[in-house]
Order: sequence, then C-alpha cells, then structure tokens
Amino acid sequence: MNSPLRYSVSSDVPVIDAAEVLHYLGYARSDIRESDIALVDAHTDDVRSVIKPAAVYNSFDIELSEGGRIKLPWGEIVSHDLSKNLSGCSSIYVFAATLGIEFDRLLARTRLTSMADAAIVQAIGSAFAESFVEMLNDKLKAEAASKGLKTKPRFSPGFGDFPLENQKGLFSVLDPAKHIGLTLKENCIMAPEKSVTAVIGIYE
Amino acid sequence: MNKYERLQNRINEGFVILDGGFGSLLQKKGMKAGELSETWNITHPDVVKDIHKSYLAAGSDIIVSNSFGINALKYGEDSSCSLEEMITASFGLTKQAVLEFENEHPETAGRHFIGFDMGSLGRMLRPFGDLEFEDAVNIFKKSLAVAAKLDFDLIYIETMNDIYETKAAVIAAKESCDLPVFATTAYDERGKLLTGADPAVVVSVLEGLGVTCLGVNCSLGPDKMIGIVRDLVSYSSLPVIVKPNAGLPRVENGETVYDIGPKEFCGYMKEIAGLGARLLGGCCGTTPEYIAELRKTLSGITPLPVTEKDHTIVSSYSDAVIFSERPVIIGERINPTGKKAFKEALIKHDKDYILKEAIRQADAGADILDVNLGLPDIDEKEMLFEMVTEIQAVTNLPLQIDTADPSAMERALRIYNGKAMINSVNGKEEIMDAVFPLAAKYGGLIVALTIDEAGIPETAEGRLAIAEKIYSKAAEYGIKKKDIIIDPLAMAISADKNAAKETLKSVKLLREKGYLSSLGVSNVSFGLPNRDGINSAFFTMAMQNGLNAAIMNPLSFEMMKAYRSFNAVQGLDENFEKYIDFFANNAPVQTVAAAAPVQSVAATGDELTDSIVKGLKESAEKITKAMLDNGSDPLDLINNNLVPALDIVGRGFEEKTIFLPQLLMAAEATAASFEVIKKHIRQQGTESASKGRIILATVKGDIHDIGKNIVKVLLENYGYDVVDLGKDVSPDTIVKTAEKEGISLIGLSALMTTTVPYMEETIKLVHENVPGAKVVVGGAVLTQSYADMIHADKYAKDAMETVRFAEAFFGS
Repeated sequence: MNSPLRYSVSSDVPVIDAAEVLHYLGYARSDIRESDIALVDAHTDDVRSVIKPAAVYNSFDIELSEGGRIKLPWGEIVSHDLSKNLSGCSSIYVFAATLGIEFDRLLARTRLTSMADAAIVQAIGSAFAESFVEMLNDKLKAEAASKGLKTKPRFSPGFGDFPLENQKGLFSVLDPAKHIGLTLKENCIMAPEKSVTAVIGIYE
Repeated sequence: MNKYERLQNRINEGFVILDGGFGSLLQKKGMKAGELSETWNITHPDVVKDIHKSYLAAGSDIIVSNSFGINALKYGEDSSCSLEEMITASFGLTKQAVLEFENEHPETAGRHFIGFDMGSLGRMLRPFGDLEFEDAVNIFKKSLAVAAKLDFDLIYIETMNDIYETKAAVIAAKESCDLPVFATTAYDERGKLLTGADPAVVVSVLEGLGVTCLGVNCSLGPDKMIGIVRDLVSYSSLPVIVKPNAGLPRVENGETVYDIGPKEFCGYMKEIAGLGARLLGGCCGTTPEYIAELRKTLSGITPLPVTEKDHTIVSSYSDAVIFSERPVIIGERINPTGKKAFKEALIKHDKDYILKEAIRQADAGADILDVNLGLPDIDEKEMLFEMVTEIQAVTNLPLQIDTADPSAMERALRIYNGKAMINSVNGKEEIMDAVFPLAAKYGGLIVALTIDEAGIPETAEGRLAIAEKIYSKAAEYGIKKKDIIIDPLAMAISADKNAAKETLKSVKLLREKGYLSSLGVSNVSFGLPNRDGINSAFFTMAMQNGLNAAIMNPLSFEMMKAYRSFNAVQGLDENFEKYIDFFANNAPVQTVAAAAPVQSVAATGDELTDSIVKGLKESAEKITKAMLDNGSDPLDLINNNLVPALDIVGRGFEEKTIFLPQLLMAAEATAASFEVIKKHIRQQGTESASKGRIILATVKGDIHDIGKNIVKVLLENYGYDVVDLGKDVSPDTIVKTAEKEGISLIGLSALMTTTVPYMEETIKLVHENVPGAKVVVGGAVLTQSYADMIHADKYAKDAMETVRFAEAFFGS
C-alpha cells in the first residue's frame, strides 16, 4: 500500500474564464457584455487571494463484475452508471480536492455586505474549483500515459446511481482531513464548500 | 515524585528523544490499503510491540501508543471493537515494550515515558463544519476516560491542523486527567495550519490552555520546518517539540519512499536543536534508523535553556495581535449601551446587524473587536455564545469578550477560537476570584480596571496601587504579568476638569513600571458637545504617554485621524502606508460613476426607478432623500417608484434578459432607498406599511442559505416583513415561531436531497398545527414533482416566483 500523495498549486495557477463564471450565474453566452465581465473581474482577485488549492490522490485496483457490481477499495457497491464509466478498467485513481476554508469565510463575509457580490463570489469559487480539478485531471492523465495507460472521465459520488454515501469510503482510504483539511459532514456533504471528490478509471 | 515532576526533571536534563513514524513501518510488514493501523494492535500485537521496542533500542525516551486513529466516532457503540478494548490494547503493547526493553537493558530502567497518542477526529467544527465544539470535547473525553485509567505518563495530541479542534482536545485532556499534555500541530509550506493559524497564534492558544510542551509535527520535512521552529521558540515559554517527516513522499516501483535519508535528516535536526527545540523525533517516513542517528547527533550538543518570553499576544483562529510600540485599536461598537438600533437588533435576534458592525470596524482598521451583548431583555449567555462563533465566521480579528456575568464569560471563552481578551476584572476580591480561574483555565489577556471596594482612587498613584494588587492576586492563579492590561479609567472632564490629567499621568506611571495600559477613550468627553474633538486630543496625549490599547470607535474620522497621524509621527507606519491609505479612503466623497451594468431594459425616464433598475445603490439613496426632502409621500415613492422598478427587473429576470447579479444589485439599491424611506417614516412618526409577514428558513441539516437570503432581500424590498430563522432550522422551531408570531406564510429552502425529508416533516407539522398556513418551497434540488410529493402548497422556481406567490397570498 502507498500513502496517498498530495498535489497542490499556488493559488495564482488555476486560471478561470469570466464567461464561464457568468454561465454558472445563468447567463447565456450570447448575452455576455463587457460590463458583465468587469463585474466578475472585480471579485476574481479577492477569491484568488484566499484559495489554497490542494488535493490528495492514490491509485487502487478494482474489479468489475456482472450486474453493475464493482469492488472498490472501500468495499463492493452496485452502480450501473459507474460500471459503464469504468468499463475495461482494472484500476482507478481516487482523488479529493479543495480550495480550502478561507473561501467559505470570504463568502460568509461577502454575503453580509452584498448578496449580488456573494452570488458572483460563489460562482467564481465554482470556476476555480473546476479549473483546479482539471489541472489535477491532466496531471493524472499524464502520469498514467507515462506507464502506457489511459484514463476515463472523472466520476463523483452522487453522479447517476453512484451513491453519495461512497464519500465515506472514499474519505477512509484517502484521509483528506489529515492531508488537506477536507472533511466530510454526517450528511456526506464536504467542508470546505468548494471541494470535489471523484474516481478516474485507468485502462490499457 | 509525580508524573509532572518526573517529566520536568527529564526535560531539564537535556534533549528528549521521541519516537518516529509508525504507519510506514506497518505497511512494510504487510498492512493493506484501507486497513486501519490501530487494528494491528489486536491482529498483530507482536509486530506493533516490536516497532515500539525498536524505537526504544534506537534511543527514544518517550514512545507513544499506536492509537492515533482511535476515537469514539470510529469505535462507537456499533463497532466490533470497543473503544476501551482498542485503547487498552494500544497501552498494553507500549507498556510491555518498555518493560521488556528495560529488563534487557537494566541501566535504562525508569528512564522511559509512555504517551497516549491522540489525533484529529477528521471532522470540521462549526460554523463551517457540522461538529459542535462541545461535542468534539466530549468525543475526545470518551477516549481520555479510558486512557486515564491506564498507566500513561502523558497525553500526546498530534498532527492537528486546526487550532480550534486542538483547543477542544486540550480542554478534554485537562478535564479528564492530571497528566502532562503535549500538543503538536501540522503546518503547510506557508508556515500555517490548514485553517490559517501561524506559530504565534498556536503558542498563544496552547500556552493559555496550560499544556506542558508544544510544537510541530508531520506534513513537512525538517528543512521546511526551520522557519516555523524559529517562530515557535521565539514566542513559547514552554519546551518546543519538533517531529518532521522524512521529507516529501513519492511513489517508486509501487512503494512510497521519502526523499530525506537519516544523515541529511539529522543535519537539519542539529540546526533545529540549535534554535532551541528540546524534544525531537520523527513523523511519517522516519524509522528507528533516523532516531538512532538523531540520538547520536544530539549527544554532542548542549541544549539552549527554555526561557520565559514576555510577548503579550491575543489571537483569532488565524491571526495574532502582538502588543508592541504601536497602540492597538479595540473596536467598541458591538455594544447596545446607548444605541437604540443595536438594542432592537439584539431583541429581534438580527444577527446580520451585529455581523455588519463587526465587518465595518474591521474594514476601518480595528485590531480587536469588543463584544458586549448585555441587555436585560435577552439571554446574554446564549447570545454571546452564538455571536462569538458567528462573528468569528466573518472576521479574523481577535475578540474582547465583554460581560459582567462570569458564567457567560466562561461559555464564550471556552468556545472562542483563539486566545481572547477578557473585559474585565477590577481590584475587588470577589470579581478577581470569579474571573481569574477562567483566565487560568482558558487563557486570555485580562483588562483590569483600577477600581476596588473603595472606589476609584483620585490619584495616579492610588490607581497604580490597585494595579499592583491585581498583578499579585493574578500571580496566585498562575496568571503572568504579560496577560494583564491595566485600564486606569478615563473620566469625564465635564465633572472634574483635572480628571483627564490624572488619567494621563496614570498611563505614564504604568508605562514606567513596564505595565500595559488600555483606556475607554471616549468617556473623557461625556457631557460636552463635539465630543470627537476632545476625544482625539486626549487620545493623542494618552498615546504619547505610552498607552498600549484604546477601546474606541474606529468609524470615527477624527479618532482614526489622530491615530494614523500619531503612528506616522512616531515612525510606526512604514512608508506612511496606513496614513496615506486612510486619507485616500476618506477623501471628500466624489460622485462615483459606478460601473453600471448595462441592463437590457429601456429606461423609464424616472430617475429613481432607473437608478434602481441599473443597480446604482448610492444614487438611489441620494435621489430618494432628495425626493422626500421635496415633499414626496413615502408610500407613493414605494408604490410608484420602487415597486415598478423591481417589477421591471423581476420581469427581465423571468424573461432571462437580466441575470442574478443584476437582480440582486437592483434589490440592494432598493434596500438602500427603502432604508432612507423607513428612516423618514420613523422621523415622521407614522406607521410603516408592512404588506404581510413571512417566515423564511433553510431546513434542518442544510446550511446553505444563499438562496434563502436572496428571497429575503427581494421580499423585504416588496414591503414584506421577513422573520428569518436562518439555516439548519428544526421543524419544531418553524412551527413554534409560526404559532407564536401568528404568521401563516412560510418559505422553506433546501439545497441538498438529503435534507428534503426534513422539509417534508416541516410541511406536515405546519399543516397539522397552523390552520390556514401555506408553505412555499424552493432550492436547488427541488422540482415541481418533488414539491408535490412532499405536499408543499407552492413550488417557486426562483426568488421572483416567491414574491409573486406572496402577492397572491396577501392579495396585494
């Protein structure tokens, strides 16, 4: 067994697209104007200065069998959607990533001064989280490629029929609380808020 | 000789060698992925015992039990192994290892110590997580109750990455046994804990809680710990522990390897020992080989003595205020005394009002915030407990807990995240006996007023005498001089023209004696007009006499001008940065052409309506004021300008020509205008027109409230009174409020599928208990069919739809 590995980048590294942020806020791409972009840009640095993108990951063997059954590192589950996603895979990467707790504090503070700003900050946080997870994804893809392997699109607990309760098992094998300060609440929701967990299938 | 003395003697002798990594050794022995290391105490006891023995052979003076991951959350009532069984097994193996080793090496008999190792619970505490502080204390206590019955020599709390959870663990240890407590935390590359604390914060909190040794472990290699250790030893009066990892891990041929070998490791450890660390060992990736090398390295070095440091530090969860030449500003505005609106907010439980007061003062340059919520009409203890947590969620400034009720003080100090200021004690025996034990237990910087049973001495010398009485009484409780700051009392010059002079003299006397001083500055001008003039002059003079802290209004331009100017003149403002900033931010207000988002709606030609539609808060405010001054009827303004403006924006939102941020900016502009109108109505003394009252809440289990808050802003803009119950609200509270307040429209929000059952339960209870009441639901996970399934009266897909439903409900 290997210890889970840490991956972190300095907060100026994940890059976000203001149009993507506006998209999260319900804007249709064709509706976006300069002034809307300025609205996002006005808050992007505030968010950037508080986030501490960090992730922890590890690879594990899995076994797929009939009826959507999958032997994951934390036990056997049934999920047709995940089975489909992992078809042809004999191992997976499991990762947990977070922007850190300062973002939650910034959001709590912003909410008090302006709800409009809070909505924008919230969306910027989502965009940063997405961008960071993409970077991690690329890194894992490259790591697999160096061994002549390929990777599937990432799949998170709660997607399709892959039960959210798998968060508990995922947390038990990575221990992200210890490594990156990412914790799980009783209802399987994560704290800090801007966090992502997922599995990524590895195949030949 | 008790265990404290035995340990203290050992530390006084020289370096203390701790043990090294455990998990990586178990992995080498075949521990599988997902297996919990502590279960090996039961399944492979000989392997675990041999690892302990190998550390003793390498030279460890203190070894800790393999119990890092054991806690009542993991080994609860339904687990196959009991907590008691797990902890007892971990102790048995360490004890057996020591007995066997000392038997084989009789010359070492009695030289070893066994620590009970306790790690993080892996859960985040409130307000951002879901674990109550007191629940965390109790979970630790369950483990400690077992450990206390075994023959451990000390409690070893380690790898903590949150100072708040560390505080819970230390309090639990102190309340469970009489053993020495060690606490070490894990820092990141930036030299901070994952939740933000730096070494000064950590030292202030842990010293305040009375641990025996403190330090750093895990996460980093020794090379990256040097700066952290330097800070720790510069602030800590206690022996410092250092247990680094063997560098950074990487995977090689399917195995985890660390990049710093024993020799290189010990090269750094030598440097660390030279900085003043006293207890050294290793963490992840280190093995008995590293520890043996460490023993060898340290044998030739004489350790630096552990010395008393006199820094006065208060802290929040992340930031420390270290008292120095620059006077410290303590914001006074969170206090209902003489403030009608604040009193109303407290009675109405309007937490946002208080939180905004905190943010405003922080933005204005306060270093610390005083929190006083004493009002006869409310439960001060409960409110203080709640608001201390909430204020800490929105600001990183340390707080000064200000209450005359010792039980409210204790509760607040206990759950405070950091080391607080305590306001206050005075020279009265009774007060000191009530408050000093709290400071001794939880830590804190105590404000001490120079008043006693005989009143306030007229002379500076008399006040100094009381101060000295307070210091000596505090010493009886083990409270150090650095943790007391004297308030020699600013008195009204209107009552005694020499009052200020005597206070200033007291400040000077205190400074000469090496004592810290603080003043509630604004008292001096009581009863006089233009109080800021007197206050700021007095403030400058007090600072010149050596004042260390002022409790004052940081929103006062004159006071901050005096402060910034003083610092600039005294060479306390590098490059005059703060001075220049202050005047840049307080320049005469220019009409700012705000970055108006271009709205895709045609202008109406009405100035107020247009500025609201464009989301221009300041101009909406100004125009409203001008219109009222020109005799416009407030209700007409609402009906003819505000409501139509909101309708334009609302319709635009529904038709997707306007988006959420613009909708909210318009709502905020309306709120600003509405505030002006409300103020005007209040001055006129006429009734304010509420269109109806609505309860809003995010249901139990759900702490996402952004959607609910958006709905609230809009409803209030449309003239409805919203009783906001907040987030994570139980069905019972909602029903009781509806009954008590006679409200029959209730809005519920849920963001997560897991909390929808609570929504269903709430709706059922409302329908059963509040006749005629209607429930409107919304939130990210809800759909019309979901809403139907749980028998909601209305599903609102967004905030506007809730407004429309309210309009239909109240028939307006």
